[in-house]
Amino acid sequence: MQLIVTAISKAYASVQAVQQVSFQINSGEIFALLGPNGAGKSSIIRMLVGMTQPDSGSIMISYQDEHFDHVPRRLLGYLPEDRGLYPDKSIEKNLLYLAQLHGLSKSKALSEMDYWLDVFDLTDRRHEDLKQLSKGNQQKVQLIAAVLHQPALVILDEPFSGLDPINQEKVVLFLKQLKAKGMTVILSAHQMAMVEKLADHMLLMAQGRAVLAGTLQHIQQQSQSRRRMKIGTVSAVSAEQLQQLDAVLSVEALQAQHFLLTLADDVSVSDCLKQLLLQVELTLVEMQTPDLHQLYLAAMAKHKPEVAA
Amino acid sequence: MMSRQSLIVAKWEFLRFFKWKQQLISYLLMLGVMAAVALWSFFTDESRQQYRIAVPAQLEIANTEQFQFQRPGISFTEQLAQMRSDDSWHAVISEEQGELVLHTLTGKKWLAQLETVLQQHYRQLSAAQMGLSTAQLNRLEQPVVINTRYLDQNYKGKDTPEKMIALGALILLFVGLSTAFGQVLMSITGEKQQRVTEQLYAIVTPQQWMDGKVLGHSFSALKAMVTSGLVMLLAFAVVSLFAKKAVDLSWINIGVVLWLIPFALLGVVLCASFMGAIAASIDDPNNSGKSAVMMITWLPMVFTFMVIDSPAGWGMTVLSFVPLTSFAAMPVKMAMVTVPWWQPLLSLMLLLATVYWMRRVAGRVFLRGMQMYGKEPSWGEIVRWAVSNKTE
Repeated sequence: MQLIVTAISKAYASVQAVQQVSFQINSGEIFALLGPNGAGKSSIIRMLVGMTQPDSGSIMISYQDEHFDHVPRRLLGYLPEDRGLYPDKSIEKNLLYLAQLHGLSKSKALSEMDYWLDVFDLTDRRHEDLKQLSKGNQQKVQLIAAVLHQPALVILDEPFSGLDPINQEKVVLFLKQLKAKGMTVILSAHQMAMVEKLADHMLLMAQGRAVLAGTLQHIQQQSQSRRRMKIGTVSAVSAEQLQQLDAVLSVEALQAQHFLLTLADDVSVSDCLKQLLLQVELTLVEMQTPDLHQLYLAAMAKHKPEVAA
Repeated sequence: MMSRQSLIVAKWEFLRFFKWKQQLISYLLMLGVMAAVALWSFFTDESRQQYRIAVPAQLEIANTEQFQFQRPGISFTEQLAQMRSDDSWHAVISEEQGELVLHTLTGKKWLAQLETVLQQHYRQLSAAQMGLSTAQLNRLEQPVVINTRYLDQNYKGKDTPEKMIALGALILLFVGLSTAFGQVLMSITGEKQQRVTEQLYAIVTPQQWMDGKVLGHSFSALKAMVTSGLVMLLAFAVVSLFAKKAVDLSWINIGVVLWLIPFALLGVVLCASFMGAIAASIDDPNNSGKSAVMMITWLPMVFTFMVIDSPAGWGMTVLSFVPLTSFAAMPVKMAMVTVPWWQPLLSLMLLLATVYWMRRVAGRVFLRGMQMYGKEPSWGEIVRWAVSNKTE
């Protein structure tokens, strides 16, 4: 399977939801759409699912020598942002109904259900009505509903929302299992720590536009964020003293005798170390790579005025 | 025409509202209520008791099973005192200035029956004073018999058993469409509110989904009609048994009933499709005025009922061919007038074509309505979608 999105745009009334967004997803990848509320993630997902069509640009999905302009239903497992099931029906009845609509036989649906209910520790509760479950458990049932028929492509809109950290970790494991089973996954999320663990490729969006795209490493390079160095000192030193150094742009005091330095743009790491060693004796030197959360915040801060303008 | 997915949706929808235990309990409750009403009526029936009525000495009125007219030898004032103190009398009658006055403690149901007996007595008294015999009085009281002979050989008569079938069919259609009305509205808008719709869209096409809904709720409506029909027949049988008559079902015209089935079936599917289209355009049933429009589906029965006594008139003829009303009008017309074979067949074909069109409209409205994300479409938009060809 390969999905190629080329310069798609979509407007609703006076709102330009998506502007000239392009990306590519290859088979077996986990692809993350990141961005704040209203960034255009769900609009892209709805175009991929075929609920709406792009105003311009193209979507091309290739699967076993076939080509489509949106994901065909038989290949798709979908968890919409606006989601819910039948609260007055049991987990088993809900899942069986959706699985049979996907074309699964009852026996196949039940065996798949057994597997996924076990993964999410819901086996003992399969005959309970959905309304009796917590929000988190209902979310798990919906994730199962999206993959029960073993689709080639799974699209999950905000799969982590409403889950506590323990259940978020379970979803991470669930997504890794999908990847291991050869499914391609597209997800949208705010939870950067989760996405960082999972996504092969990602697209950061702001106000309908693609801001950063690629692998985490690629995005780190693209972001051109300032270099940060964590240091530990033998003797006591103040942040103000370190701030005096030409090589240091800013200083953040961590715990005792530990600091996070942001290096000035035109100074090399070795020059910075030379300046430091003239002042203090070091116990720790560690270059800090910005995590996705920091990159995301930096990107949003950088692009928001530009987009607004 | 009907996909496997549509049949799965239909089965789901049918079973979702088919709760046989609750239904059985509701029937038992209904029987219990009927039994309680019958028992209450039996125990409070005053006509089975005897009443003592004090009348003036000159009033020579014969006793009936219910009323014992007595002429006490005590004064009128003492009669009233007795009635108040020890229930010696249920009523005391006096004559004042040529008029009868009925004295009793409080209003009672049997007083009306007493008045009837008194009226009858005074009518006979007046007749005797005028020199009329009882037979002459009876003849005067009988209405003139007017027999109508219909020259149109196709007209089966005014109060024939077939008319009962026609009225029964209209009542059953009311029952079926009322069932469908509630279920379609609850099912479609409920799914929107429970936010299942977008998930289902990723699995089945809007048309498959709507076909399943329409079919499932049509089955529910038909089930309600069949159940109600059987209850009607059961009630008829029970009444016959209580009246100590043999249960006679010979009045059921099988030929008419066989024609009635396809019309009722397609009529219910047509109305369920229309209701589905309207329900699909409703975002929040609590804040939408559109749900009342679904009651338009009751108009064919109302219009047909209004012309039921002129089954061969132009009104019934128009209604029996217009596809939006023919499912109610044609069976009624057929029950009361012999029609050439091509008429019901043509009407049925037109109805079938309209059902096909209406289900497509419902599918289109669902698709486009869902793409509006929380905004309810205007009537203009719904009409535009109805005439467009977009299905995906």
